[in-house]
Amino acid sequence: MSAVRFRSRRSTATSLLVPLALIATVALAGANGTPSFRGTVTLILCNLIVVLGLQVFVGNSGVYSFGQLGFATAGAYVAAFLTLPAAFALLQTPGLPDFIADAHLGALLSTLIAAAISGLLAIVVGLPLMRTSTLAIPISTFAFLIVVYNVVANWDRVTGGSSGLVSIPTTTSVESAGLWAGTAAILALAFKWSASGYRLRATREDEVAARSIGIAVMSERLIAFGISGVLCGIGGALAVHQSGVLNPATFYFGTTVTTMTMLVVGGARSVFGAVVGAIAIATVNELLWGVENGASLFGAISIGEAPGLAAIGLGLILLATMIAMPNGLSGGREAGELPWLRRLNPKASVPPLKPKGSVASGRQIERSVESALRAEGISLAFAGLQVLKQVDLAFGPGEALGLIGPNGAGKTTLVNVLSGFQAPDSGTVSLDGIDVTGRSPVRLAHDGLGRTFQAALPFAQLSCLESVAVGAMGMGAGRRQAIAVATDVLGRLNLLEQAALAAGSLPPGRQRLLGIARALAVRPRYLLLDEPAAGLNEAECGALVAVLRGVLDDFGCGILLIEHDMNIVMELCSRIQVLDDGTTLRIGTPEEVQADPAVVQAYLGTSFLAAVDA
Amino acid sequence: MTELGQNLIDGLALGSLYALIALGITLVYTVMGMMNFAHGEFIMLAAYALFVFAGLPFATAVACALLAGVAIALIAERVAFRPVRNADLSAQLVTSLAVAAILQNVVAVTVGTRAQSVETPAAIGESTSIGSISVPNLEFVTLGLTAIVLGGLGWLLYRTRTGLAMRAAAENFDMARLLGVRADRVIAIAFAISGALAAAVGVLIVMQTGQVSPTMGLTPVLVGFVAVVIGGFGRMFGAVVGGLLLGALSSLLGVYLPDGLAPFREAIVFTFPVLILIFRPHGLLGGEIGRARV
Repeated sequence: MSAVRFRSRRSTATSLLVPLALIATVALAGANGTPSFRGTVTLILCNLIVVLGLQVFVGNSGVYSFGQLGFATAGAYVAAFLTLPAAFALLQTPGLPDFIADAHLGALLSTLIAAAISGLLAIVVGLPLMRTSTLAIPISTFAFLIVVYNVVANWDRVTGGSSGLVSIPTTTSVESAGLWAGTAAILALAFKWSASGYRLRATREDEVAARSIGIAVMSERLIAFGISGVLCGIGGALAVHQSGVLNPATFYFGTTVTTMTMLVVGGARSVFGAVVGAIAIATVNELLWGVENGASLFGAISIGEAPGLAAIGLGLILLATMIAMPNGLSGGREAGELPWLRRLNPKASVPPLKPKGSVASGRQIERSVESALRAEGISLAFAGLQVLKQVDLAFGPGEALGLIGPNGAGKTTLVNVLSGFQAPDSGTVSLDGIDVTGRSPVRLAHDGLGRTFQAALPFAQLSCLESVAVGAMGMGAGRRQAIAVATDVLGRLNLLEQAALAAGSLPPGRQRLLGIARALAVRPRYLLLDEPAAGLNEAECGALVAVLRGVLDDFGCGILLIEHDMNIVMELCSRIQVLDDGTTLRIGTPEEVQADPAVVQAYLGTSFLAAVDA
Repeated sequence: MTELGQNLIDGLALGSLYALIALGITLVYTVMGMMNFAHGEFIMLAAYALFVFAGLPFATAVACALLAGVAIALIAERVAFRPVRNADLSAQLVTSLAVAAILQNVVAVTVGTRAQSVETPAAIGESTSIGSISVPNLEFVTLGLTAIVLGGLGWLLYRTRTGLAMRAAAENFDMARLLGVRADRVIAIAFAISGALAAAVGVLIVMQTGQVSPTMGLTPVLVGFVAVVIGGFGRMFGAVVGGLLLGALSSLLGVYLPDGLAPFREAIVFTFPVLILIFRPHGLLGGEIGRARV
């Protein structure tokens, strides 16, 4: 029996080999051309490395950065400083410290050091920037780009100011650029397929759901930002060693637009798309340039910046892509995921999964003073509206507590407080006797708290297997272990047949089950379910009850169940807590609660009266 | 004391200009959720209208610039932004980047990449003395215009039906639509006002620098973005506060920065928002974006 995988071996091989073959073809074409054509192709390959750097961050995080060319600038200047011949260094960069000016390193070493420094710069810059929101990051990275430009253009004694540097050794050949581009493509794919890459892609699909399974959005983004900085630095260093000249505008606004166009037109989510986009746009760029200058195709060009007609053409292409084909030429797919390639090798789809022996022994529970998730005296007001008033709640492992009440009673708000998405005004939350009030959702997930949401919040572009496995990865599991956990959980929820499908393609009912599977993959000791049965049909409800019963028995985890379907509540829960208008109306066995006139009043009477009043 | 007063009024005038830019960006953001990169090109195109109609009386040329700003904003909305209205934030941002690149290069190709000088009325370049403080007339114009714009926007948003529709659309676009707010109209109005604000800024910049160039919109749009980030997304008041802060900072740095650091003023000004974001990731006045809504 073949082992369960995210992709078939053949799909992986295709995804890896097609981009490499494309790069090799371009490099070979360049190697056999005229000297000026060689130079053009070399610069295209350098640009491609920068685009791959963009892909690592933008493609996987879904957050746009307009500052990555700042790292290419940094890499280019560092590489130039380390290799300038003594006579030129004295003339152009008198302010440079001697140990740098006298380094005179070779091509490889200077590129590696440039890459390291760009990566370091990306981490330093990313530390504050990644804290901000998805919309603030593009703007603050754009500000960073302008800051870099301003510093480089005015630091005359070190950078040569706005006139820049000349006579930099031209050591980058089309062959070496091709090798570096191939390496960059492999690195970008390796990151995308790593546990870290999966976690980052989960945040791209749904930030809130990702946090609920313990993924620290900021640190995942920072890792990719750093790797992206390294690749952009390499691209910049190689480019400067091709052209031999460098000025502050080499990697500035024009290049930012060009590389962003390449990424978006190719399809940002895939490495294949980045490679295809870079090559396609570079070709179009050359053609437009040829038209504009009346020159023959593939004459000499300067990197990136495309003034005039060519830039208008690129802008129109970018605009048309955003409007008509937002996923780009590749559709966001890797080569091995393309339908027309899949038809060539029918085995390329993920093999059907078979349930294996349970690995669901649950995490070791450290026995402490008390095993319970406990909330005491929780109060919370939104803009003067008191949503929760001194609410207490507690349940232990292996127990299912039902939380019911009319709409607006505060049930979901209470779950948000318990899972750290909402800080209470007063009151404490404790997990097994430890005060966890105010801890972040990410931290609480690591402490053993899982939750689902009223909306399914699927990781739409990930497969079902990946969506669930990423829950285990959020806890630090490697890919192999995560797959084992995911297979087990999917089997319990009868979702194995859909394992290879994109989560976003499932019907709503299945998406909710997948949400529960994802929460279970975190191996929670306490699981908070917010209306899991909403939108499920009768058969699915029955299956859900069976699954939750199994969770109680096998995982030994405690469940807090918000649900309007009383049959499910009565069947699963040993105790029920009724919430009304932010206070606890009643706690008791299902029978007691059902017989309580106050509860009946809350459900039918007050809301009915309120409706009459209004 | 005199020097401080002088610097304060200079800072206030520059901050007002920045606030006008930030307001134009915020207005579109609130009704459409898009940060419009092309706002800088609206500014640039209005400035070029001033250049093209330089032969006419100045007031007429200014009116032409205003019309140009409104027209280009409406055209861009209809052709480029309406098709991506329902796309995510990042896709809209990239779309506006494409529009910016196109507009900038169309001007570069048709008029030329070099900066062109524009004549403005001599009175603008003179100064008026108030006690020991000498205030350039342009600063009076800027301050007065900002006051009029703020008053006018306040009146429009809070005293008219159109304003009510715009605020409703800003709160919850889909719901407003269900309640009968005409989405196309509201968004078009927001773009028209945004274009007019951009044009006003373009005219002020030309009166300040006396020239136009295809890339002249880049720095203003960044200033506007940063002001919006500082103030907190989607808040009119935040945009004004962010603009004023940034203007005051830039103006004060211009005076007090030691000579060696003076060339790096722009770098320091744009690093400042990062410092704010470290402590207030959602801006000074907090925005709704990025907060988890569960």
